[in-house]
This record gives sequence, C-alpha cells and structure tokens, in this order.
Amino acid sequence: MAIKTILIVEDDRFIGEMYVRSLKKANYTVDWMVDGNDGLIAARNKQYDLILLDVMLPERRGSDILEALRGGAEDLIPHSRVLILTNFEQDDESRMAMEKKADGYLIKAEITPSKLLSVIAQLDKPS
Amino acid sequence: MAVDKPQKFAKDFWPYFYRVIATVIVTSQLIVLIVIAVILYMFNFHETNMLAFVGILIAEAILGTVSSIAIYKLASQPIKDLLAAIVHISGEPTATTPPNPNDKRFEQSGFKDVLQTIYQLASNNKEPGTMLSSAPVAVAAAVATPQPMIKPATTMLESALNETSCGFVVMNHERKITFSNKAAPLNVDSNGVSSLSLIFNGQETLDAWLEDCDKNAVHAERTWARLPNKLPEEEGRRFFDVIASYDKGAESEVVLTLIDRTSIYEVGEQELDFIAFAAHELRGPITVIRGYLDVLEDELDDVLKDDQHELFRRLTVSANRLSGYINNILNTSRYDRRHLKMHLSETTVAEIYDTIRDDMDLRASAQNRMLSVNIPTDLPTIAGDPASLSEVFGNLIDNAIKYSNEGGAIAVTAAPKGDMVEVVVEDHGIGMPANVIGNLFQKFYRSHRSRETVAGTGIGLYISKAIVESHGGNIGVRSEDGRGSTFTVSLPTFKSVADKLKAGNNSNEGLIDQGSGWIKNHSMYRG
Repeated sequence: MAIKTILIVEDDRFIGEMYVRSLKKANYTVDWMVDGNDGLIAARNKQYDLILLDVMLPERRGSDILEALRGGAEDLIPHSRVLILTNFEQDDESRMAMEKKADGYLIKAEITPSKLLSVIAQLDKPS
Repeated sequence: MAVDKPQKFAKDFWPYFYRVIATVIVTSQLIVLIVIAVILYMFNFHETNMLAFVGILIAEAILGTVSSIAIYKLASQPIKDLLAAIVHISGEPTATTPPNPNDKRFEQSGFKDVLQTIYQLASNNKEPGTMLSSAPVAVAAAVATPQPMIKPATTMLESALNETSCGFVVMNHERKITFSNKAAPLNVDSNGVSSLSLIFNGQETLDAWLEDCDKNAVHAERTWARLPNKLPEEEGRRFFDVIASYDKGAESEVVLTLIDRTSIYEVGEQELDFIAFAAHELRGPITVIRGYLDVLEDELDDVLKDDQHELFRRLTVSANRLSGYINNILNTSRYDRRHLKMHLSETTVAEIYDTIRDDMDLRASAQNRMLSVNIPTDLPTIAGDPASLSEVFGNLIDNAIKYSNEGGAIAVTAAPKGDMVEVVVEDHGIGMPANVIGNLFQKFYRSHRSRETVAGTGIGLYISKAIVESHGGNIGVRSEDGRGSTFTVSLPTFKSVADKLKAGNNSNEGLIDQGSGWIKNHSMYRG
C-alpha cells in the first residue's frame, strides 16, 4: 500500500514546518501535531499510512504514545507504519523499547527533508 | 668486615669469626700453660714432684680448653642466630633454616624479641626492594617459614596500607588478586571473586598489556593516566593514575599502584561535560539550517541561476562540514568520557556510503576535486554503526580533499580481505613525511606544515581511529611526501562477529575484537 497520508508529531516548530513543507510539496497529505496528547488523539481518530514520531514531546512522550498504540494486546494502528525521530543523544532504553514497536528510526541531526523523502520512498517499495 | 662489603656474602663472616676464636683460644691456653709452668718452675716444684708438675699442666690444658670452648659456644650462639636470620632476610643462597623465634630456648632467653624485631624490620623494608642479592625464592622462604612471627608485621603493613588513599593491588600468575588495600577500586561478584574496577579506553587495557608481557617481557612497567572506576553520572566516580609492574614468575607477578587523582581530573571532566553539552546544543540550529537549505534550493530550483545554485551548494557544503566537525567534537568528548557507544547492525559499506554520497560529491565538486567511488554492492556485510562509520568515511574524504590540489583525483574503493572488508581512500596530494605518520592519530595532532596552511581541529583522525577500533577494525595509512596518502579502514565482516554479537547481549553494542580475544568495550555502560 502506497504511503499517502502522514502524521507528524514534533514539537520543534522549525523542524516540524520544514518536514510539512517538503512532504506537502511531494504531494503527501500531512497533519502536524505539536504535543503528545494531540498526537495520540490524531493517531486514534484517523488512519495514517505513516506516523513520524518525535521522542521528547510535551504532555506525552513519543515512547508513551507508541506504547498506547501498539503496547496492548491489540495493535491499534495495524495499517500504519511508524518512524521514530530521535536525537543522537537519546537514552538507549527508550530507544530500544521503541525500536521493537516501530518500523525504523531516524536521527534528526542526520536527516534532511530530501533524505526523508527517499527514506519514505524506500519504505514504500517492499509492500 | 665482610658484611660491609657488598660483593661478599654476610654468611662468609661466620668462618672468619670461627677461625679468629679458635686462634684466640689456642693462643691464650698456651700462654696460661707457659705462665703456670714458669711459676711452678721458679718454685722448683718440678724437682720435688715431677709427676704433680706434669699433672697440673695437663689438667690445666684440658680444663682450660674445654671451658673456653664452652664459653665460646654459649657466647657466640646469639651471634650465630642473628647471622642466620640476617642471611635469610638478605636473600642469600643458603642451606640452613632461619631461626624460629618460637623456639623454646629463644622464648626462655628472651632472644625471641630480638629475632622478631629483625624480621619486622626486614618486612618493612622489603617493598622498596633493599635486597642484597637477587634470590627471591630465599626471601619467600624466609617470609613463609616463620609464620607466627611474620603475622604481626603484615597486619601492621596492611593497616598502614589501608590508611593511604593510594590503591595497591597484587596479582599472582593466574591474575587472581592476592592482595588489595582499601583504596583499591574493586568489584566483588556474587561468588566473592574480586576483580579490578577500572575502565580503560579503547584497546590499551591492562589485560592486553599483561598478555603482551607474558609473551615478551621478564620485567616491565607501564603507566596509565586518568582511568575512571565508574562511568559518568555513577556515584562515587574516582580517577586513578595507574602504575603496573610485572615481574615474571614472582609470587606477586603483577603489582598495581593506583594513585587517586580525582581532585585534579574532575575539573577536566567538567570541561568535557561542557564541551559535550555545547556541541549538542549546536546540533539543533545546524539541523535546521541544513534542512531549510535543502527545502529552499529545491523550491527555488526553477528561478535560480547557475551561479546562484553554486552559492547554495557552498552553503550546503559548509553546513554539512560544520555538522561533521560538531559530530567529531561530540564523539571525541564522548569517547574521552568512556561514553562512546556503537549500535552495531548488519549493513554494507555501500549502504553506509550511500547516506553520505551526495554530500561527498558536493564537497568534492565544490572544491574541484575528482572524487571517484567504486564500492561493489555485493561485498560481505559488516557489523557496523552506520552513523559513526559514515563520519569516519566523511573525515577521510574530507582530509583527502583538504590535503590535495585543485583538480586532484581521490579514489574510494572497497574490497574483501579475509574476515575483513577493506575500504581505501587514496589521494594524490601533498602527502606526509614519515615522521608525521607516527603521530597522525593522536588527539589535537597537526603537523607543522598543515597548521600553517590547512584549517582543522586535529581530532578527525583521532576519533576515526576510536570508532573503527570500537568496531573491532583497524585503520592505517601509507604516505609519501609530495606524492599523496592512502588511508585503509578494515572492518570485520558480520559473519565473523555474528556469534559474538549474539553471545554478548541483545542490544549487541560494545563488543570489539582485538586479534586474539574479544574485549567488551564500554561494557559497563548502562545508558
């Protein structure tokens, strides 16, 4: 299934806008949430093909959101793929815990919008 | 006397002493006999009673000699015992056993205290190595045989050592700790076995050194500076300068002296924390700058003129280089704090290079270098941390660009070699003289020439080496002055380390291979 709709949960305004802008230009449908609670609600209310999830978020951490969505007996977002956006310095425990439930992680400082586009394109390929 | 002359043995004094005494006894008895004979003669005793005259002389000769010998024996016994004790603690080769202070006759005479004092003095002086000769076996015998009297000496020494802030650790040939004082940083596991709690950086560990000593050395000494016993943010973290001495075959084969330098190094540690913090803070804005340059150039693609595109390229190249330098600083501070950690996974050199390909092409073309990259996609997979290795390749290519000339060719190739995959970065630039190469991978090292002509921080190669070695690989260089340099990075194939990674722990970090055995690097890191 091709990726068309994307949810971004990212509290840094500059970085959030940067991704939104370049993803929209590449013809994706993008929703952007700034805090963790809104992010979780958005993910429950609408089916996204891809969720880009920051770890350090106000209200609710990215790891908590992922736990709420995929930690229970039932996967609440079976049709979505999840990419974690981490800082280089992320503590390993939460990173490892998240890696198991996510489809991949991106180090924020290493990624640029055009690289993100190619990562999403690659994610699309196998399915 | 013989004792005073170092080339002679202390035990040689005894025969000399014996000869002198024998001569004195014989001479004095002769004199006494002659005097008695003369006196009796003067009173004409021999004329009246010849038999009595001879009898008196014979009786005197026998009684005098016997009593002299008896007195001599009695008087010289303590000297003989003292000498035997001294011979033993001096370590001279000897067949006699040392006098035991608990002997009945010593206890009765009170000589026991004298002997104990001597042994105690000897055990106090033993540490600095004041032995007369080099026969450690005899010393061990002297220490071991009179068990009961040596006890108070060692407890005294032990309590003295426990008073100092300097750590002492003694190991035997099996590397078991046979002695340690209070200040020594030790871990005790659930079986009650103690081990040294020190975090060495990279591959320069005590174990590696001892392994080398076992093969190549009889006596050896080595020092390490600034070794922490715990990781950053752990309670009670101390820093030690460590002096290790190795003496093959000795009962205490390895002696470690650990000098607590926490007060000095803590300041530097705070500086490292600050550097890490500052570098980390710089990454945020740089990420935004790089991202927006990317977005902006893409959006303005149609309206930008060629020279304006070039300006964007230069901005991007500079932002990327800045990002690389910040990563170098961050990783170096992390490495120096024993905090650098690899997330190893199965990957290929080609995959890793793909993540920096555009950046490298841009850097090379912006500075008019001909970068040709030939990395086959079907090479064996490696166990690598992609982000860290891309920094290594970036550093090497960046150097090749810096130290070559306009239009210079730079070749990046990769090929399998045994259990390794070898990546080679070759330039035809200014090269280096041989005397520079030895220092090349040291921190802050910059050759005199490059300091004047080329910008740089002097940590790129240092951290590259650290990263490659944390993978269990090697980095090396060949260079010719004026002709160019060739850097070679060897990384173990995934297949050759897969078992070790699984055996380690499920997070698979931190296992590195060093020739013969596996060393758990940063294994104490707990995130």
